[in-house]
Amino acid sequence: MNCTKCGNPKIIIKKEQSGQYLCKDCFIESIEKKVIKTIKKEKLLDKGDKVLVALSGGKDSVTTLEILNTFRTRRIIDICAVIIDEGIDNYRQDGIDIAVRHAERLGIEYMIFSMKENFGITLDEIMEKPNHKGSCSYCGVFRRTLINRAAREMNATKIATGHNLDDEVQAILMNYLEGNTDNLTKLGAKTESDAEEFTVKIKPLREIPEREIGLYVVAKELEVHFASCPYAQQSFRGEISEILNQLNQAHPTIKYSTLRGYDKIKKAVKNDFKKDYPKKRCEKCGEPSANRLCKACSFLEELK
Amino acid sequence: MTFKLKYKNNEETREIPNDNYTINDLLSELGLSSQTIVSKQNGELVIEDTVINDDDEIQLVQIIYGG
Repeated sequence: MNCTKCGNPKIIIKKEQSGQYLCKDCFIESIEKKVIKTIKKEKLLDKGDKVLVALSGGKDSVTTLEILNTFRTRRIIDICAVIIDEGIDNYRQDGIDIAVRHAERLGIEYMIFSMKENFGITLDEIMEKPNHKGSCSYCGVFRRTLINRAAREMNATKIATGHNLDDEVQAILMNYLEGNTDNLTKLGAKTESDAEEFTVKIKPLREIPEREIGLYVVAKELEVHFASCPYAQQSFRGEISEILNQLNQAHPTIKYSTLRGYDKIKKAVKNDFKKDYPKKRCEKCGEPSANRLCKACSFLEELK
Repeated sequence: MTFKLKYKNNEETREIPNDNYTINDLLSELGLSSQTIVSKQNGELVIEDTVINDDDEIQLVQIIYGG
């Protein structure tokens, strides 16, 4: 078996979905080309954009930064990064250190936003509360708020996240199965909010399978934080991920066909189910919110 | 015939149980999924169909964690 593209006998991946065998160099090139193709097809970047990368130090965000940086070196866009410190002892600091080293290696402006400084509480402290609702609910909401805040502070025009094919397909399937049409309208490569305070979000890795991102960082010898969050819990998403990976063994194109199917009906779903939320402001922090309090402030009230 | 296995922070020497024993066979024995692992043979990335040879060093890198 030799590389399908260049004939090199040292292959590092057999792509079940296409039948291709690829060597290291051709694999790296194929990932970068595919991400660039997604960026062009979905019009994710405009010349002059300042893109804020939500950088955790994990494989997905480091890959996002690495590939977007090729647009920066060609002076098409500028890049900055935000690193969120959720406050998880013996876990988060390693990722933060790695994220900082990447930002400094590339000479990119970055800020570290901590939950403690912004909300007065760490995730560890939340998990000590008897009435907590599970770590992921808080982490997701507080992180999203901080990323939006960072985008405004750094005058970013886009926020890039490391969502990969597996993340996106899991979200599509979860929302179908739960009948959550509201959330189904919010997926896609580029999401814009009616509230101008919320910066446009883009997902350049949306068509790259998670395993290939892992292989990419190892092949490129990029330093990343490979570790499991101590609060990782058995979730519905985890169950869906398992089912999808099982199906994928016999049907290696199933993740792509699920994504393509969603993309075909996305417009119709948005037209029929997009809700017009009241354009109010959170009474406490002033962020856009459909309710009296935004989700972050209502969590903080509950945790008092 | 033996090979050295490196996985997480552990290193161990293991027997090669039969001819044409592949990294996929090793993953099955260890109860690991090739979806979450990438494999190196003597420091170079390889596919999981690769046959393990005498004195090989096989490193398994976990790239996906649950949660």
